[in-house]
Amino acid sequence: MKAIATSILLIAALSTANVVQAKGDDFNSVVKMIEQYYRVKHDGIPFLAKAGMKVATTAARIKGGEVRQLAEAGSIKLAVFEDQSFAGDVVRFRSSLNEALNDTWMPLVQTISATDNEQVYIFIKDAGDKFNVLVITIDQRDATVVQVTLSPRNLALLLKDPEGTGKAITQEATINDQE
Amino acid sequence: MKLLLIAFLLTLAPVLSARAQDSRIQMSGLDHLAAKASQTVDVNLDERLMRLASRVFDDKDADEREVKKLIAGLKGIYVKSFEFDADGQYTEADIETIRTQLRAPGWTRLVNVTSKKEGMLEVYVLFNGDLVHGMAVLHSDDRELTVVNIAGPVDLDKLAKLEGQLGVPDLGIEKKKTKNDDEK
Repeated sequence: MKAIATSILLIAALSTANVVQAKGDDFNSVVKMIEQYYRVKHDGIPFLAKAGMKVATTAARIKGGEVRQLAEAGSIKLAVFEDQSFAGDVVRFRSSLNEALNDTWMPLVQTISATDNEQVYIFIKDAGDKFNVLVITIDQRDATVVQVTLSPRNLALLLKDPEGTGKAITQEATINDQE
Repeated sequence: MKLLLIAFLLTLAPVLSARAQDSRIQMSGLDHLAAKASQTVDVNLDERLMRLASRVFDDKDADEREVKKLIAGLKGIYVKSFEFDADGQYTEADIETIRTQLRAPGWTRLVNVTSKKEGMLEVYVLFNGDLVHGMAVLHSDDRELTVVNIAGPVDLDKLAKLEGQLGVPDLGIEKKKTKNDDEK
């Protein structure tokens, strides 16, 4: 009897640990969600000690022609999906994504085109004196998931021009990855 | 006595909370249009994001200072916009899901412009006494439907400054308001 009780407690403890882990790493959860929903595979999640060094020298051109580095050095997480099919119900995908993230992330802007199969999602999370931003871009054949940390100044830029700055964040992350 | 006061406050809390939420329009009735739209834009600047914006906007930047003043005290800015490749993709019933809410006590239609070229624009405000506690903008033409909802105290004179900022689309409110006034 004692052994059964211990096993139940152990299983309960392990299940809780898994839930906590999933909540703590929403970036990976989103990548997995895209893989499962669209039956695709990402090309890599380069964790970015490497990119962190490069990011300091990289600048993104954002609205108004201003050149500015957006992501904090070393903060970029990137998953790229190349030349695969992302055909599917975009409205249902959006619902699943929001359901998964809305507890911990704040949705800022979501742009979808059902006719062209294009989707852009921007989520924000308070991280003390800085902010985490998750940008998910999916089109007919490619997708990127980018998570970065922004300074308050760059978050202000994102809030003022979510679409333009969101694009610039993705651009900055992918440029780093290709360098 | 203290217990009575706490009990009274607890009873009052849901009422006060409901009052604060009155200016929030439910737009989920339009979600089904996303499947037909060539582009759907959803902007959700809720109270948490409003507080963040107030924290990060810089008083030294004139634009940001202006926007910061404008959003002070706001409970949220919500935008839902659909663009279609063909006419007739949304119905009057879809617009009614929004209008019905704007017929509730306190809401007043300030602007109502319809033109063949530019479509329909309706601007509603929610009064609480003499103060404006919320706003809704409904814009539609043959291939577009946009709803903007600002929850919380709004300075109508400065509202145009929000267009093009924080994901709020350029609706030409100021231009159409002036035109409407001229027509009167």
